[in-house]
Amino acid sequence: MYASEIDMLSPRSLLECLYLLENEKASFRLLAGGTDAVVRMKEGKWQHDYWLNLKNIDELKFITIEKDEIHIGPLTTHSEIISSPLLQDHADVLVQACREVGAAQMQNMGTIGGNIGTASPAGDTIPALFALGAIIELTSITGKRQVSAEDFFVGPGKTVAFPNEIITKISFKVRGKHDIGLFQKLGPRKAQSISIVNVAISLSMKEGTKECLGGRIAFGSVGPTVLRAKKCEAMLTLGELSPDMISNISSVAWKEVMPISDIRASASYRRDMASALLERGLYRLIKRWADNERKPF
Amino acid sequence: MKENHFKYIGRPVPRMDAPEKVTGTLKYMTDYHFEQMVWGKVLRSKYPYARIKSINTSKAESLPGVVCVLTHKDIPGFNGFGIVVPDQPVLARDVVRCTGDAVALVAAETKEIAEHAISLIEVDYERLNPVTDAEFAMSSNAPSLHENGNIHSHVIIKNGNMDTAFEEADVILENTFYSPRQMHAFIETEGGWGIQEPDGMLTIRCPGQYAYRDRLQIARALAMNPARIRVISHPIGGAFGGKDEITVQIYLALLALHSGGRPVKIHLSREESVIAGIKRHPFKVEMKTAAKKDGTLLANQVRAVADTGAYASLGGAVIALAIEHCCGPYKIPNVDLEGFCVYTNNGISGAFRGFGVNQVCAAIETHMDMIAEKLGMDPIELRKKNAYEKGERSSIGHELKTSVGTLKTLETAETCELWKNREMYKKNISEPWKKRGIGIATSFHAVGMGIGLPDYGAATIELLPDGTFKVGVGCEDIGGGNSTVYAQVAAELLNCDIEKITVIQGDTAETLDSGTVTASRSTYTGGKAIAAAVPHMIRVLTEAASAQHRVEPENILIGENEYYAMTKNGEQVSTYEKLYAYLHENRLSTKVEGHFMLPKEKEELPQSGGAPHHLYGYLTHLALVEVDTLTGETEVLRVVSIPDAGQVLNPQGLEGQAEGGAVMGIGYTLYEDVLMDGGYHQTANFTNYIIPTIRETPVIETFPVESTEETGPFGAKGIGEVVMIPIIAAIMNAIYDAAGVRIMHLPATPERIYKALKSRDVRQ
Repeated sequence: MYASEIDMLSPRSLLECLYLLENEKASFRLLAGGTDAVVRMKEGKWQHDYWLNLKNIDELKFITIEKDEIHIGPLTTHSEIISSPLLQDHADVLVQACREVGAAQMQNMGTIGGNIGTASPAGDTIPALFALGAIIELTSITGKRQVSAEDFFVGPGKTVAFPNEIITKISFKVRGKHDIGLFQKLGPRKAQSISIVNVAISLSMKEGTKECLGGRIAFGSVGPTVLRAKKCEAMLTLGELSPDMISNISSVAWKEVMPISDIRASASYRRDMASALLERGLYRLIKRWADNERKPF
Repeated sequence: MKENHFKYIGRPVPRMDAPEKVTGTLKYMTDYHFEQMVWGKVLRSKYPYARIKSINTSKAESLPGVVCVLTHKDIPGFNGFGIVVPDQPVLARDVVRCTGDAVALVAAETKEIAEHAISLIEVDYERLNPVTDAEFAMSSNAPSLHENGNIHSHVIIKNGNMDTAFEEADVILENTFYSPRQMHAFIETEGGWGIQEPDGMLTIRCPGQYAYRDRLQIARALAMNPARIRVISHPIGGAFGGKDEITVQIYLALLALHSGGRPVKIHLSREESVIAGIKRHPFKVEMKTAAKKDGTLLANQVRAVADTGAYASLGGAVIALAIEHCCGPYKIPNVDLEGFCVYTNNGISGAFRGFGVNQVCAAIETHMDMIAEKLGMDPIELRKKNAYEKGERSSIGHELKTSVGTLKTLETAETCELWKNREMYKKNISEPWKKRGIGIATSFHAVGMGIGLPDYGAATIELLPDGTFKVGVGCEDIGGGNSTVYAQVAAELLNCDIEKITVIQGDTAETLDSGTVTASRSTYTGGKAIAAAVPHMIRVLTEAASAQHRVEPENILIGENEYYAMTKNGEQVSTYEKLYAYLHENRLSTKVEGHFMLPKEKEELPQSGGAPHHLYGYLTHLALVEVDTLTGETEVLRVVSIPDAGQVLNPQGLEGQAEGGAVMGIGYTLYEDVLMDGGYHQTANFTNYIIPTIRETPVIETFPVESTEETGPFGAKGIGEVVMIPIIAAIMNAIYDAAGVRIMHLPATPERIYKALKSRDVRQ
């Protein structure tokens, strides 16, 4: 079968799309921004009957706030996230992660739902969603279910979504002004690279201090899925986040990850870099917090 | 740039090809689609080293939509190609020596059918153990990949007396350097078109660096009169040496002969280009350098081994040039240098900007930095002390008869703002774990071919009916900007506006053979050839004006864009259009030729493979870097490039070359390597082959020093390659200055730097 023989269906609504997915006799691949799907198609890896082109489903493109929750539609592009004032205020860690996705062209085409659905352990937006405690909504013709980002990924390229389900919403709690976040990426170069290691950090700070009231830390590219660093998280609240404390917390990070060796980096380097990125990230985050507060600590 | 009286020479003339390239309106040859076209595909070897027991094409042939399937049996002429020795089969017959080897060709109605047909060709292989290490390949235990063994070439240069030199030395350094398999990474992968015209002529449109030689290589494989083949090799989406050798021209020709007169197109995917395309030779360089306490260099001993992969291509010439340049632009009295070009089953290596000098410059310039540190000397001072000048003897023992700009470039480096304020720049770090350093390195690169290879240029100038001139030079513009330089030279000498010049390049039907676009030679050679043609055109125009106005030729004056005849009735004007009309009416030729031989050294150093060269371009680089000691990442923050290109013909063009070369050098030093394992490419495409982007591009300043080269066009030399050479060592030295680690295995990836930092901290 040639790639050019794969037909494309372009549903006009979510309902139409869900209805099409109920056809068990045919195999489908969802096409959002296409930044990953087109590559797989060229490689001849995917041999399915139909592309399900989501481009026309406008109801899956949104960024809204409802009470204390932010909602993002899965067809929202990385560029739209980057330029959203709402997300700049309430999801700095996600905005930063989207900035690190590929090149400008990829950010313009690629979507957050696509990044989640592809489920790469190196996907840049996923650690940010872990750090934000995001909930992913899956919808099928029979109903909806909510899965936390941490429970969503099963392995490289594998998620808990069933073939008849699609991602319809990503949501997380509004951040307070004492909640700060940061995304750090180490790639073989600064621009347009696949992460060797990345880390997303989200902290709730005590006003006027360098004390942390709690936080989330998630690493990418150092395990079969994105991983939460719960030992490091537990240490965040042990005392003021001084450079020494940051160094101590970071030194624990290598125990939380289990990376592989590949042509981009060795496992031991990745492991060390989990610590290095966390140290660099916490240092930068606390510096930003201190600079913004403009108060002597 | 000092003042001159020229209208175009030495002026910043924008590149003629820039608007259409920048806006994307230029169509490269591989962008074209024709009616009735067929798609060609190449079956590459499945294994890096194997015997072919049989090839069965019947299934592929019976696939609907397949036009033809070709194997070695379908080659009418000689089944081989290669610029120096034709050791690479066009289509493998009994053995494959790398995964880039072509085994069969298919032409089909669509690209997908062609790809499918390729997968239906059954090749019965007997796998053999691949030879993947060059040192092992040289040993007696290794299987012989070619008839005459695995050592394709061995070059030696000796001068002085090594025994006593090392005894007298106060400082001796001995290190081994490893360099990466850099990819040319041109924007346009290998590809093109072939068609057999109704009269039997073959037209091959395929980007290349020497249309005339490509034509001869096609003719040899087809057993066809080369005059029956037209090769169009321009425009080109980048080459950098990677399109110097045959890429797909012969495949296009073979398929065109079997496609019933329909045009056949081949365009390699990036993945196929990575596997089949040539790369820069990975080198192992062992170097031992000795100096006296006062900084005088005493001796240099070098053993360099280059992995040329399965076939020679230009590997022999690459190792020869490396050995010629491995002592830097210095006068070291005692040297013992040898280089080996070795066959393995690792792809194919060949020509690439710098041509072997990059690899050895990294070694000698690191040693210069280490000697300066050991002796407590300023690194520029040490280099100045040992640099040769015109009229002196180089380390390899020949007298420099042409311009040498090393000292001037070093003096400029010493007084430039970055170097003078280096302590301030180094202190100016942004985060506590960052370290900054500044490095310097200097190098040189030969211009033109070595001894033993005839080197000539030729150009045509034709007056057209509309009063413009068509300037034809065989040398393609592979991105360096020579087309603009050719227009400048022609316009300046003809005394006309540059808008009246059209430059035609790279077409065997339209231009004369002018040699390759390699060896930093095309500005020099093409410029001189045009300069040789211009007097003939002036004579034609003067004679026409004189006949037209019935006055003696001495009464004709050459004006700007027109000719004047001093007649009894006063001054009469002849425009180019009028002159054309006169020539045409009288059936006189409107086209002239100019020919030019490059000057050469007379005596070849025995066993050197072509050294010395007559002309060299020189350059000094400074680099400011910041190393992140937490991660090992290096950022190049500033680069100063100080070239000696002779007189600069186009400052804007020179800056373009200097900046492009610096970025390519940054890539080589920090990011780029095609990784191989067991003869298989681990790096598939640009996902993991990392080249610098604009975010990795620092501020680059270019300060040319101008040392007039008397033999060159308007005093110019060549600069296309040396612009990427010393920056490699400059960055390596800057990393040491910043973080205290010497990375001798390039690229200096974050992981390598981090590991070096970690092991140093453990030691301390």
